[in-house]
Amino acid sequence: MTKPPNHQTTKQLIPRLAQKEILSYAGGKMGVSAVPGSGKTHVLSALAARLVDEAIDDDQEVLIVTLVNSAVGNFASRIAIFLTRERGLLPRFGYRVRTLHGLAHDIVRERPGLVGLADDFQIVDEREARQILEDAVWAWLHTHPDALLDFLTADEFSEGMLRRIRDRDWPELAIEIAAAFIKRAKDLQLGPEYLLASLQEYPDDLPLARMGAEIYLDYQRGLAYRGGVDFDDLIRLALRALELDPDFCARLRHRWPYILEDEAQDSSQLQEEILRRLVGPDGNWVRVGDPNQAIYETFTTADPRFLREFLNQPDVKSITMPDSGRSQPSIIALANYLVDWTVNEHPSEIARNAFRQQHIQPTLPGDPQPNPPDNPAAVRLVARKFTPDAEIKAVVDSLARWLPEHPDSTVAVLVPRNKRGFEVTRALKAAGIDYVELLRSTTSTREVAGVLANVLRALADPGSSKKLAAAFRAWRRADRDDPELAERTANLAKLLSRCPRVEDYLWPRLDRDWLAHVGAGLAPDHVGAGLAPDHVGAGLAPAHVGAGLAPAHVGAGLAPDHAGAGLAPDQTGDREGSPLLAEFRDLMRRWQEAVVLPIDQLILTLAQDLFHEATDLALAHKLAVALRAASDDHPDWRLPELVEELATIARNQRRFLGFDEEDTGFDPDQHRGQVVVATMHKAKGLEWDRVYLMSVNNYDFPSALPHDNYIAEKWFVRDNLNLVEEALAQLNILTNGEAGNYTEGEATLRARHDYTAERLRLLYVGITRARKELIITWNTGRPKNPAQPAVPFIALHTWWEGKTG
Amino acid sequence: MPVPDPETLIHVPHTGNHTIFLEGPAGAGKTTLAVQRLRHLLSAGVPGENILVWVPQRTLAGPYYQALRTPDLPGGALVDVVTIGGLARRMVDLFWPLIAEQAGFDPTRPPTFLTLETAQYYMARVVEPALRSGAFDGVTIAPNRLVSQIIDNLNKAAVVGFPVDEIAQRLKEAWAGESSRLRIFDQAQACALRFRQTCLQHNLLDFSLQIEVFVHHLWPLPLCRYYLLGRYRHLIVDNVEEDVPVAHDLLWQWLPECDSALVVYDRDAGYRVFLGADPDGGYALRDACHQHVSLEDCLVASPDVQALAVETVRSSSAGLTLRPRDAPTESVKGNPRAALEFATWRYHPQMLDWVADEISRLVVHEGVPPGEIAVLAPFLGDALRFSLTEKLKRHGIPVRAHRPSRALREEPAVRCLLTLAAIAHPAWGRCPSRFDVAYALQQAIHELDLVRAQLLTDIVYHVQDGAPALRSFDPLIPEMQQRITYLLGGRYEELRRWLEAYAAQPPVELDHFFSRLFGEVLSQPGFGFHHNLEAGEAAAKLIESARKFRQTVGRTIPEVTGAEGEENSGGAGGNSGNLWGRLGQEYVDMVERGVLAAQYVPSWQISEEAVFLAPAYTFLTANRPVDIQFWINAGSQGWWRRINQPLTHPYVLSRSWPRNALWTESDEMEAQQTTLCRLVLGLLRRCRKRLYLGLSEIGEQGYEELHGPLPVAIQRVLRANPND
Repeated sequence: MTKPPNHQTTKQLIPRLAQKEILSYAGGKMGVSAVPGSGKTHVLSALAARLVDEAIDDDQEVLIVTLVNSAVGNFASRIAIFLTRERGLLPRFGYRVRTLHGLAHDIVRERPGLVGLADDFQIVDEREARQILEDAVWAWLHTHPDALLDFLTADEFSEGMLRRIRDRDWPELAIEIAAAFIKRAKDLQLGPEYLLASLQEYPDDLPLARMGAEIYLDYQRGLAYRGGVDFDDLIRLALRALELDPDFCARLRHRWPYILEDEAQDSSQLQEEILRRLVGPDGNWVRVGDPNQAIYETFTTADPRFLREFLNQPDVKSITMPDSGRSQPSIIALANYLVDWTVNEHPSEIARNAFRQQHIQPTLPGDPQPNPPDNPAAVRLVARKFTPDAEIKAVVDSLARWLPEHPDSTVAVLVPRNKRGFEVTRALKAAGIDYVELLRSTTSTREVAGVLANVLRALADPGSSKKLAAAFRAWRRADRDDPELAERTANLAKLLSRCPRVEDYLWPRLDRDWLAHVGAGLAPDHVGAGLAPDHVGAGLAPAHVGAGLAPAHVGAGLAPDHAGAGLAPDQTGDREGSPLLAEFRDLMRRWQEAVVLPIDQLILTLAQDLFHEATDLALAHKLAVALRAASDDHPDWRLPELVEELATIARNQRRFLGFDEEDTGFDPDQHRGQVVVATMHKAKGLEWDRVYLMSVNNYDFPSALPHDNYIAEKWFVRDNLNLVEEALAQLNILTNGEAGNYTEGEATLRARHDYTAERLRLLYVGITRARKELIITWNTGRPKNPAQPAVPFIALHTWWEGKTG
Repeated sequence: MPVPDPETLIHVPHTGNHTIFLEGPAGAGKTTLAVQRLRHLLSAGVPGENILVWVPQRTLAGPYYQALRTPDLPGGALVDVVTIGGLARRMVDLFWPLIAEQAGFDPTRPPTFLTLETAQYYMARVVEPALRSGAFDGVTIAPNRLVSQIIDNLNKAAVVGFPVDEIAQRLKEAWAGESSRLRIFDQAQACALRFRQTCLQHNLLDFSLQIEVFVHHLWPLPLCRYYLLGRYRHLIVDNVEEDVPVAHDLLWQWLPECDSALVVYDRDAGYRVFLGADPDGGYALRDACHQHVSLEDCLVASPDVQALAVETVRSSSAGLTLRPRDAPTESVKGNPRAALEFATWRYHPQMLDWVADEISRLVVHEGVPPGEIAVLAPFLGDALRFSLTEKLKRHGIPVRAHRPSRALREEPAVRCLLTLAAIAHPAWGRCPSRFDVAYALQQAIHELDLVRAQLLTDIVYHVQDGAPALRSFDPLIPEMQQRITYLLGGRYEELRRWLEAYAAQPPVELDHFFSRLFGEVLSQPGFGFHHNLEAGEAAAKLIESARKFRQTVGRTIPEVTGAEGEENSGGAGGNSGNLWGRLGQEYVDMVERGVLAAQYVPSWQISEEAVFLAPAYTFLTANRPVDIQFWINAGSQGWWRRINQPLTHPYVLSRSWPRNALWTESDEMEAQQTTLCRLVLGLLRRCRKRLYLGLSEIGEQGYEELHGPLPVAIQRVLRANPND
């Protein structure tokens, strides 16, 4: 059903020419190649809003598929702004923004029975999946102790070195190989049984494929035992469900008559297949991406060629969005030069294909989203040879100078790896510089679970003053942002941890109120004096000790916490702390009385007192529900086991929670005056006034040259083989069924070139995050095998010096 | 024949086979008329024992019981109000010697009627070995749900009227998914047959056997039929759309034989399809009645609410052809927007806060009595119930929540009693954890806090030779005694001595043990249940549950479990001591595994003074209109989607499902749409003034749930009725 057009929907966007063309989309297939900062998210949101307003019925949705969780929130809120017809209606209707995983989950959750899953099937997250995988790998290694010998370099190793390889390095590599192998096999929709059968028939020995397939079989059994699926299964099963039931697929097609796909350059084979099925032969599909920003290819089937091929299809309307108002012209020039140099001059011929030769065009005068003014001086490529520590110091010093003068500006430090990011955050913390970490998962899930776990631990061991102190700290966690309050909380927690008899604090008898004495600044002889040494550790009179007592019970009369030292007079005079301790006592008493409630009700009771933010309360509610399910499954579990489960659940469910800032959309503008530390991958789609790019050396950005080192080529493996890639090559051979095509080493070489190309695009992504200022540095890495500046860095530096004199 | 005026049908003659089929929407006054008919019959001198009021489930009998309790009725009005299950059981009990043998039982022994929970007990004994041998490995499902679905299949076979050995075949014929499931259906069938065999061997009659014996053996028996038809000359059959096919079969034969009958059909209901209800079969009874009366108007809902109901149903049923009698017929005169308030929140707890705030505002500022507000969700988990109840309590709003299936083990008082039972029965070899003991002591001893309870437990509780034991308080060092306090130590000592004295004697029946422990110790001053009425109530339920378990299972346990001892129906000592020991353990096992649930938790009822918090279907079957309804979790798929039950299927195992037809996606969609329409209509016809719709983008489970079918339907209504 088509509704009358509404021309007001794009009122917040004054579109450029290419944008206008996109916004006039009426149906069919359209491909958009967009440069960084061209406003593709903005225009895609406006298009989605227009379609919601004009082209769909109430039981339909415009489906927007994007790459990462952080983009989901961004899209959703932008679309909401553009929508004009929500007045008086239920809001947030008519569109659905999903990552591929989220979409797969929606599909599978709708018909779990179709693919053999129960209603309440569990999704095993990366961490638990990793544990299952590690178990499978170790089991395999135990039964194949000599598997390594085939690949070990001929170097002489000392006994100790050999042991290290066998016990640590080889297992780590084996896990990497297995993880990549299983992921690829799932992408190819191949089960372990099929692969093992194929190996039987294959004329040559493919040891890495055999290893991968055997571990894969064990891994799948591990998942099945837990009644779960991993994220890769979820996607595979979503496609399976669409294949199995055409009626189901048709219903979803009706529901999602328009599919808009962002970041299509990182689309994987399965994603393309799922979306192709949902679109159908004559459906409406808009794919937007930038082939020059494809940075998720390693170990996946993602490939920018899917987008390129789509753009070239005859039935696809192809549009380019070349204008970008994000960066100042000098930064644009640098990014464009990187593309030109790579395409024309990169020393590796293969790497020259890394980019599509597509220039970013600054906006024309009068553009509503103009570029910042040109400022060549704000682009600095620091050629100085830094050690890793010195590089961090230089960046931190620079920030310390710059931040006070730019309290309203945004700044990011972008690094190639998480590990480097943590080193930077440590240095920032030491320098007293305010920062936000955008490295791994954000912390709210962990924090909520952590706070609850601390309180539950205190409830599980109610006589422990140390756990009581930890619960107090958890309750007062907001104090840590204020040095004065933080100190007071620390002191009070310390005081609590020395409370000799917790019952005298929490449930005092008339003459034994520990808090009353503490509050009075007294150090009474009976408060804090603890027990006489001979009584400590034995609740029974001597005659009973040893008379039929199990060893575990000797000493149980008094936990070690009770034998704490007395209070020093100077710690007891905190009259401001006393009301806090009194308040905490009331809370603990209430919580202790609630301890007999089922776990979900206990957690909800705690949450009401511990959390105030909507996200935290929502998360606590979810944790309550999840722990209740765990408790039902394990009726013998008590608080200690449930506390442990709490931690596991918090890890497991994170991906779909939508409770972290990462999930709701990270907005750099919300962090003015703070330093955002992120990986270059996580920075995709974001922009800052000033950007530091660190570690641009030939280890993190190799160029397929002889002197380059590759993280994937392990020092103990012969012939610099990249065993992960060799394993995947063997898997491909097996899949294609072409006997004799495997040649050892070819995959390793190919991987070098692919990696080189991907890292070039990563550098391009990093550069194009900067609006006004860009600083690029490099470091020498480990002294044992010092790194050089990355070849593209040298090229950019040389060009920039020549250009700016 | 002219259609009589509704009022006149109350007074139709009570001789000469006057049968009337009364249909209409909910809230039209049908049950009121039926109750008046009942009163009229009694007032006209019809003996109460000649009247049978027939309802599909006991909760729907409320208005009749209420009428029968009024003082102005003639004395001795012993009207029977039954369900088909109750009638079957009564008849089986009465005519047992006549049909036991032909039904496959041992006629020399009396029948043992199983409750749902004791049936679950016996079924669990069948299923567990199957599970251990690798059955059901293709489905991920908790054993309790496995058990209940197999029982459900047996019941469906009985109430629909097909042979019990056809269950798997019917399910397989309709299955369109992965072929691995076919094997699972066979395994479930095998368990059902083994269970049936156990029942026949031990004269156990679960619900399915009660129905089958009644329908296949008793009803055809002239003596039984003469008894029933001769005694009950007047039938009042309410909510016939919610009854099962075999009930309709009986009525087909009964209606021509009675003096008078009033058969009441609620036009847009049929909520018990999952329990075998057959609205089509119920409607077909129209042809068995001489007169038809149709009421068209809902007298409860305001015109605005009616408009909202009708428009929402119309928008939910887009593309679906509702049967004429299911489609709302009333003309829309109101403004649906005027009857609707809605709010969308990001997170679920924010939505709950809004609900609590709005209710508080309604009660405080608009003077709405709390009893006129119902908060409804498709599913009501404990966390949601607890959360909302607490929020309302904080506003000072009384709330009564319905807990559909709370297991006994979740009651703290029950857990306390079970822990103490384990300590009192060292021969069981069940050693509670230190946490359980500390919690039990905290519960059992008045004023004993958790810190001291743990301290005390750490010192006195130990496991010796695989058995739990408590040490005396007296020999503790004075320091420890002081910490615990002499007062609390004295109470502990009293409890310990009681347990010790009990353990020194042969064990008694577990329900007697609980009863004594409660009466002699825990309810006494100084002990935890003395002032705790809730604990006392839970204890009473546990005692009742244990007693029923003993009475049922005690008769068969030596045969079924291989326990030593002879059959026993009472008394203690000697072999029976072993029996009670074994039986007690079995019972505690079942409670701890959550098999024994729900049945003994206080039966719910809607309070006039409290906000009613319940699953939507519970509210429907309670059949009590309110002024204001809150529908929370409105985006949930639960408003239309049935719970995926891998071993059973309510539609495929119904009478109307054609054999050999596949259950497809479009069947599922049609069923879902019909479900949603019925639910919306049923709820709104029980809502007088206003509906509040609460949505959260992120649902209770942490997944996005904004785009469910209900908000989509509501959105259409809103769009069609723009704001002024």
